[in-house]
Amino acid sequence: MILEARCVKKEYRRGGRSFLALDGISLSAGEGDFICIVGRSGSGKSTLLNILAGLLTPTSGSVCFEGREYGSLNDRDMSEIRSGPLGYIMQGHGVLPNFTVLQNTLLPHVMAGRSGDVTETAMRLLEQVGIAPLAAQYPSSLSGGELRRVSIARALLSSPRLLIADEPTSDLDEETAEEIMRVFDSIAKKGTALLMVTHDMDFAAYGTRSYRMASGQLFEIKPGGRN
Amino acid sequence: MGEKTSFTFRDIIWCNLKRRPLRSACMVFLVAAMAFVLFGGSLITRSLTNGTDGLAKRLGADLLIVPKGYDHAVEGILLRGLPSAFYMESAWLEKIAAVEGVAAVSPQLFIASLNSDCCSVPVQLIGFDQNTDFIVGPWIKTSMPGVLRNDEIVIGGAVAGRTGDTLQFFDMEYRIAAKMEYTGTGFDASVFMNMEAARTAASDCAGKRGTEAPPENSISSIMALIDDSLTPNGVAGMINSTFGYGKSGIVVVPAKTIISGVSVSLRILTRSFAALSAVLWIASFAVSALMFSVMLNERRQEFGILRSVGISRKKLMAMVLWESGSISLAGSAAGIFLSALLLIPFRVYIREIFNMPYMLPGFWQFCGIACVSVVLSASAALSASLLSSAKIGKTDAYRVIREGGL
Repeated sequence: MILEARCVKKEYRRGGRSFLALDGISLSAGEGDFICIVGRSGSGKSTLLNILAGLLTPTSGSVCFEGREYGSLNDRDMSEIRSGPLGYIMQGHGVLPNFTVLQNTLLPHVMAGRSGDVTETAMRLLEQVGIAPLAAQYPSSLSGGELRRVSIARALLSSPRLLIADEPTSDLDEETAEEIMRVFDSIAKKGTALLMVTHDMDFAAYGTRSYRMASGQLFEIKPGGRN
Repeated sequence: MGEKTSFTFRDIIWCNLKRRPLRSACMVFLVAAMAFVLFGGSLITRSLTNGTDGLAKRLGADLLIVPKGYDHAVEGILLRGLPSAFYMESAWLEKIAAVEGVAAVSPQLFIASLNSDCCSVPVQLIGFDQNTDFIVGPWIKTSMPGVLRNDEIVIGGAVAGRTGDTLQFFDMEYRIAAKMEYTGTGFDASVFMNMEAARTAASDCAGKRGTEAPPENSISSIMALIDDSLTPNGVAGMINSTFGYGKSGIVVVPAKTIISGVSVSLRILTRSFAALSAVLWIASFAVSALMFSVMLNERRQEFGILRSVGISRKKLMAMVLWESGSISLAGSAAGIFLSALLLIPFRVYIREIFNMPYMLPGFWQFCGIACVSVVLSASAALSASLLSSAKIGKTDAYRVIREGGL
């Protein structure tokens, strides 16, 4: 199993009162799984993805990545996972304005201090998401959809074992979104586990498993299947 | 494999600084202002202290005896090199030497050169007796063996000219036999010659000015050393009581009075400077620390994104510290350079402003002050950066990104 979450709870306090954003969620993802999660705003989807990506600490419960429990890992090990076998596409574009498109794509490799020139790989990924001609441009000259594609290419740079995507197609036109979903589909077919939050039920149909999230809980949607 | 990606961690730091030129420039300016104040204040304070120390070392006499009413003039010559001329009978030399407690005496003759064609520069000419001198002579021997001939002079550190050059005073050419080191005292703007040459110059000077020549064998001042067992004030009192207070036509000035007068002024000045520098530094430190914190807080979203793509806390801290360190180094260097650019070439004017002996520190002292200024200037930026990055590193990346506005 690549990812395994057990009884994950996340409690927040708002206006002096606490509430559960996640109420004992258990979820697992293995090789080639393409899991889609749909749900209304504020249902806890992003909180769940960020906990699964190790960017947020749960109030209780555990998350294991390839048998390693997040709670037992130090910051360095966790950072290594995030820059390597775990790709994360955050909500919004998450592209840094001081670096070019290519430099943004190369960030996980530079942050991990890995050896080897991966510029060619980065260029191939930019080609795959259709923005290779913009490699030398700065984010300020890119559209929202183009920025989103930069963050997708960046998440794929290290050939992750698990790709977590928080509404990856929200800023994209229909044609590009379809293209991105096909990229995800092919990645999943090659064995990468995919976990995606989306508002679009059509795209949820790409998943091998689909869930609806409500009140901090996951409900499996049946029947589900790949297009 | 083994080949490195052309984009490196160092490039990330450089891009962050380069792509935000206004932000970087403002930070550099802040640190530069702090370094300017710190370095400038310390340099001036040190120079004043060095000048006073130099004065005590160069003066070499316990008592100065000058014609009555010229005690301030002799201070002007010693402290600021203000050209002045006054005379008294040379008979005073023997009279003073005969007073109990006086161990040695040596005369000096002061002539003010003219600001006209006859003289190369308007300076204080000082004639001294090479046989009895214990003020100028010992120092000259270290850089010029032998005695000064009638056509030779020794020039102070601030007088333009090199050894071997010639200067003209009252239409007479003099060869520069030696040049003194810069002392920060009035000696820097003085020219020394032997007594015979000085008498000729005094006579020529009177001719040029159209005034009466000073009486033959007259002198301007007597430098006196006293017995070790006695105090300068005690011997000064003895001289005054021997020749009658206020009636003798001479005035006895203990050298310590001049030095202690300067020391008191120096103490007040250095304390004022230290207080002013401390206030300015604290204010700059607070502003700088605040600015760096605000800047880093504004970048929370950026740091959160970096955390999400795998930067560790340690590396994030390193990145922030390298950025702040580069800004601090550039700012400190700029501040120190500007301060030095202002204070070194204009040291003569600064001495005139303070009206006190002023001597710049030597190379190593200069480097020491520069290093301390860099450390203190950089400390605000580095400590603010360290605190902010540690705080950001401890917070969950998701929260950092959300708080950053994404």
